[in-house]
Formats: sequence, C-alpha cells, structure tokens
Amino acid sequence: MTTAPSPQRRAIAVAGLEGGYGESPVLHDVSLEVETGEIFAILGKNGMGKTTLLKTVMGLLPARRGRVEFLGEDVSGWPAYRITRLGVSYVPQEKSIFQDLSVEENLRLALRDVSRFGERLDVVAEWFPILKSRHAQRAGTLSGGEQKMLLIGRALLTRPRLILVDEISEGLQPAMITRLQEVLAQERRAHGVTVVLVEQNVAFALGLADRYAVLKMGAVVESGRAGSTGARERVEQHLVL
Amino acid sequence: MVPRTWIVGSFVLLGAALLASPLVLGDYTQQILAQAFFFAVAAVSVDLLWGYTGILTFGQSAFFGIGVYTVALALAYYVEGPLATIGAIVVAIAAAAVVGGAIGWLSFWDGASPIYVAIVTLALPVVFTQIILSGGAYTGSSSGLPIPTPAFSLTAWYWIAGALLLVVALGAYALVSSDAGLILVAIRENEERCRYLGLRTGRVKIRLMAVCGGVAALAGAGYVLFGSVAAHSYGDFVFGTELVVWTALGGRGTLIGPILGTVGVNYVSALLGGNLPFVWLLFVGFAFVLTVVYLPQGLVPAIGTGLRRSSRALGGMLVSRHTAVPAAKVRVVASPASGVARGHGTDDSAPVLELTDVRKQFGSLRVLDGVSLKARRGEVVGIVGPNGAGKTTLLRCIGDGREPTAGEIVINGRRSGGLPPQDCVALGVSRKFQTPNVFEALSVVDCLRVARSYRRPTSPWRRSPTLALPEPALHAVQLTGLLSVLDAPAGHLSHGAKQALELAMVLALEPTVLLLDEPTAGLTRDERAAVGSVLRSLAESHHLCILLIEHDLDFVREISTRLVVLHQGKILADGPLADVADSELIRTIYVGGAAR
Repeated sequence: MTTAPSPQRRAIAVAGLEGGYGESPVLHDVSLEVETGEIFAILGKNGMGKTTLLKTVMGLLPARRGRVEFLGEDVSGWPAYRITRLGVSYVPQEKSIFQDLSVEENLRLALRDVSRFGERLDVVAEWFPILKSRHAQRAGTLSGGEQKMLLIGRALLTRPRLILVDEISEGLQPAMITRLQEVLAQERRAHGVTVVLVEQNVAFALGLADRYAVLKMGAVVESGRAGSTGARERVEQHLVL
Repeated sequence: MVPRTWIVGSFVLLGAALLASPLVLGDYTQQILAQAFFFAVAAVSVDLLWGYTGILTFGQSAFFGIGVYTVALALAYYVEGPLATIGAIVVAIAAAAVVGGAIGWLSFWDGASPIYVAIVTLALPVVFTQIILSGGAYTGSSSGLPIPTPAFSLTAWYWIAGALLLVVALGAYALVSSDAGLILVAIRENEERCRYLGLRTGRVKIRLMAVCGGVAALAGAGYVLFGSVAAHSYGDFVFGTELVVWTALGGRGTLIGPILGTVGVNYVSALLGGNLPFVWLLFVGFAFVLTVVYLPQGLVPAIGTGLRRSSRALGGMLVSRHTAVPAAKVRVVASPASGVARGHGTDDSAPVLELTDVRKQFGSLRVLDGVSLKARRGEVVGIVGPNGAGKTTLLRCIGDGREPTAGEIVINGRRSGGLPPQDCVALGVSRKFQTPNVFEALSVVDCLRVARSYRRPTSPWRRSPTLALPEPALHAVQLTGLLSVLDAPAGHLSHGAKQALELAMVLALEPTVLLLDEPTAGLTRDERAAVGSVLRSLAESHHLCILLIEHDLDFVREISTRLVVLHQGKILADGPLADVADSELIRTIYVGGAAR
C-alpha cells in the first residue's frame, strides 16, 4: 500500500463498503482513499464490481454496510442528486444522454447557473469541436463515440471538483483517447479536479493515473503508484487470472 | 421457479376452498365475491397485457362491455335456453377477439410508440359507451337493459365465478411460464432487440390483444348473466381505469397480485362503501398513490420479497416469477448443425452482401454519402474510421431496410429495401448493437431462449427443459464464461458479460451475414482474445460473412481478412488487411489527426 493521504487532503474515503443488486452481493469490504487533485484508476476484469462500486458511492445503488466520504462530507446514504451538488460529476458507462434533446440542450441542462454557459461551452468545445459545430443536432443521432464526447464534455462543463468516469475510452478512436488524456490532465493542472477512472484500457488508465487499485471479486486486491516499475505487469496478471 | 407440483397443489387447494367456503360465508359476502371474481378475470387480461407485455391498456372494460351487451341483446331479443346462451357467450368472445385484433392492428404498426396503444385503448371505451347510450330502448341507453337469466342459486353463481377465475388464472399461468410467455416479457423489456432477433412482435401483440379481449368478454358475459342487468358503466372508461388501478395495487406482472387487488378492493369497498361512500373512494385513491410511490411493484411483490427473506420457497410463489428459472433443470445442448450456418454446397465466391450507392441523411447531415461494398462468405470485414464517420449508420442500414435514404442493398440475392428488421433477419442478417442490448429482467438462459425462438417454434403451454443452441452460439457461451451464470438476471451482469450474451443471442439466429458493432468494447484482453477466436472460427469453419466495427486496430489486424476505411460517410479505402492496415491513410485520419 502507498501512504494514505491526510484527512484534510482526502477527496474520497471509502471504508468497508458492501453492496450489490438485490440479494446478490457484489462488493465485499471495499476500502480506498483518493487524494484531492489525484487521478485514480480502478481496474479489474469484467464482473468484478467496478461499475457497482461507482454506482454505490454515487448513491445510485444502496450500500449494505460501510461509509463513503466525498470532499470531507460523509455522504453515506445520500441520494445521487444531493451528492452532485457537492461538485461531484458521474459519467456512466451506458449512454445517459437525453436522446431527443439537442446537443446544446443536453449541455445546458448540466449547469444550475446558466449564465456561465457560453463561456464554459467555449472551453469544452475547444477540446471536442463537434459539441459546438453540431449544437442543434438531436443528441440521439450522434454516433456512439460522439455521444461519449458529449457525456464527458457535459461533465467537465460543470467544472466539477470530483469526477467519476466509467469506461470513457470505450468506442473512441485512438486519437480521441489521446485527446481525452490531455484534457483530463489539463483540467487537473488548471482546476485541481480529482478524477476516478474505471477502465479496461490499462495503457490509457496507467498512462494518466497517479495511483491505481485492482478490484477482484468485489474487493481491492492490489494497489500502488501507476508509474512504479512493474505496475502494468502486476495489473495485467490480475486481469488474466 | 416454483415446482409444478406446488402449482397444481395450490390450485387444487384453492378449488377445495372455493367449494367449501359457502359453508362459512354469508349470502352478501358470496354475492360480493362472485362479482369480484368476474372483475378479477378481466384484471388477469390487463395483467397479461400490461404487467407481462408492457402494453398499458385502459380499454379492457370495452371488451368486458362487449361480452355484457352481446349476451344481453341476444337473450333480450333473439334467443332463449341454455344452448343458445352458450352460443351467445361464444359469439361474444369471438366478437371481442375480432375487435381486439383490429385495435391491435391499429396500434402496433412498426414504429408506433407505446403511448399510441394507451390512447387508442382510452378512446375505445368512450366510443363503446357512446354507442350504448345512443341505442335508445334497444340497448337500454343509460337506464340499463334487464335480461332473463338462468335460475341458479347464489352459491352456484359463486362457484361458477370462482371456477372461471381459477381456470383463467391457470391458463394465464401456463402461458406466462411457457416459452411463448418469455417472448411477451422480452417484448416488454426491449422490443427493438426482439425485432432484430427476427420476432414479429407486432403480430404477437395483435394476437395477445385478441386473446385478452376474448377473456375480458367471457368475464363480461358471465357477469351479466349473474347480475341480470346490462349497464353501460361496465364498458366505460372509469371501469377500464379501475382495472388498471387494481392491477397496479396488487402488483402487475404477478397474476396473483391483480386477482388479490381486485377481490380485495371490491370486498372492502362493499363492506365500507355502503356507509362511507365518499371517504371510501378517497381511501382507495390514497392507497393507490401510496402504493405507486412506496411500492411501485405493488403489494404482492413487496410481501413476497419480505417473505422470501424468511422462507424462500413460500415467497417464491408470490414474487414476480418471470425473472426466475429452474436452476439445475436447464441444460444447454448443441443443436444439430443446420445447413444455413454451415454453408455446404454454397458458392463462397458470390457476394452474400452487396451495397450499391447507399446514402443516409439526417436532415441536412449526410451520414452516408454513396457507399458501395460487396462481401462474401468467410470474410471478416473490419470497418474503421474516426468517430462520426458513419460506421454504425452503415450497419443500421444493412440491418433495417427502411433506413437508407437512397441506394440498394442485396442480401443473399434478395433486396432488403423497405423491409423492417425482423424481415432482414429472415434474409440472413443479424446485428449486435454497440451498447449491449439484452433483456434485463430475464435470466441469461431465457435471453438465449428468446433469441432461439426465431428458429424453433415456441409452445404457449410449456417451458422446454433444455435449450438447444447452434454450435457457434454454444461456443460463445462456453468461451466467455456465461455457462456459470445461466440463471442470473441479465441486468445484473457486468458490461462485458452482457456483450458476450448479446453476441451469443445473435449467433443463435444462425445468420449468414453478421453485423458486429464494437463486440469487444469493455472486454479485457483475454476476453477479447476469446471473442476473437470465436469470430475467426465462425468465418473459417462456418463460412459466415462478418462486418465488424472496431477501434482497436490490433484486434482488427488479428481477425480481419479485409479492411474498409470510412470517413465522412464515404469509403476511402477497401482492400486486403495487409495493404490497408499499414497505409498512411489510416495514420492520418484515424490514429494521428482527430477530427478537429
């Protein structure tokens, strides 16, 4: 284990979390801490509980036991809308855009204070030009990869303090993945945003993250610094076995 | 699932209780219950439509009313005697089934939204009531039409109504537990996926409307013989809505819930309604709102969940059963190889898929701008291109003949122009969607069963104990580890497992042309390798023609035989893998320069 961040610097503290769907438990005693301004990757095979972990900490699935702290607040048991008001943004894996609204309406809905919309949009459109050039297009007619851009763009538009991203690299062309890596790194430099990535793309995740954890059968089995020697080999070993 | 002996046993017990209960029940109670039993039969038809198939209907009262008035008019003016009465009931059922089929035909055209049927069935009772009210003395208008009725004792009526309810409930139970019943739930869960599995969902729903119309008419016919006065209120919109409310209160999609809801509400309102007519209505409304807010599944599933915690077997009878499957009983076996999949004796050099100048526009946006392409058996055609190049749209045009704005697509020698997805499946195309598209409430094995029902006739009576899959689908199930989670609800699977499941479902159709939209997205490296080897063997030994969208160039390189580069709706390159994969073109538009 790497050294735990001090309580003041913690963006996320999860302790002894248990949860799942209905009566089938998926998470068993998950504990992890993420420091403010850190980029943290959660890796693991399919079915190991990565998405369930994100949904549970976001209050979208009930936790059976354990404690979740975001940005210094104990948010255990909070509904998702209340958590987002702390400045937390969640980008789910399965498309959660408003299909029948235009691209611009989708983006506008993310902001509670619409007066800053134009200015924020300019920033986001610099990274993902289609969000501006196709502003009037119905979001449901965007291609799969473009919808992913809309999802991440919408999340960044709110300038969150903490952003949880579920498999954003899936379905993106290689050049766009590189762009995304730059964008997240830049957002962290400029605004100190804390990023949690759930990823299958190990190269992308470890290239961007400071630290990582590997989930297996609903528990953390391995964690460490992403840049440390042999990190990739250790992670991949868990993905194969 | 509940063992068969339990079901038979509980129906025998209920039958015995029905026979014996007049000993302890007073006349008034028997009267109330007999009436409630007839209503409950109509509620069962609402549950089949709404709870199981997802068709929200306010119009079952109209079918009930057709039953009421067909029998009433026949007995009041035309015929008499027991045989003629039975004949009138049969005519009532047939008339309601015809109207039901016609309403279904009006409501379930391709692309009709689910709201459409709700509106049509909302209008139906209104029309029915107007017809009755304007019938003057002939229909009795608003004062009702009294009829001569069979001289049965009250207890006899109580038994008849109860027996009718038991028989209808047993029939409905047999239907929803059968292979055909699975298709109903699949339609509720994801109708688009059903169509792309080759199922004619419109036809299924029209038939179900006809059957449920007949069932409601049977209830109405029985009810008017019991009550001896036909009144327009039995066919009106208020009664239609009450049926929906009772179904929701009890718990839709459970059969037992709507029955208990209907009987319970009618019994209690008879007890209380006499003394407190207005307060009682307020109370029912309040209970409905509370149920919708706090127990959206209804009372019975909520009680069932509570019971199941303490006693699994007992609770299992009450909990919505369409998610559960006999655990150990299902065996997945390989089906005998069919000629379609093998492709023996077919000429591999003739193209099975031929696109000529295909175009697709969304408003002014040209997504496909004249795509021409030929593909043969045994080919794995990798389609690459930046996000928004039109890759998914291209697959959608092949999978649904109504999609292209212009151009021609020929599949296995037949034009697909204008054909809906279910007919394109019949031409030999099947499509896996980009985001996994499975039936979330069904178990893995049931999802596969639904997919398989395109090739195998489905029984409306029984659930087959085994599931026969063609070799490629079986192979996919084995390699991706789905065998160990056959009984898990598909909605609980991880993203990758859903991808694998959808691939297996699509393969169960035994297609000639397989359309795969990012089949390995969200899979780990070894799962990806497993899927890759399945796909390669499909092309090599089963001679499938595979079109594959994929961003992972290494994966494409490993399994494709040919590469097509799509950019801004046009094909920029098309050729053998080796020539295209390392070309400058790929580097400039795909890997290096994003579409800025």
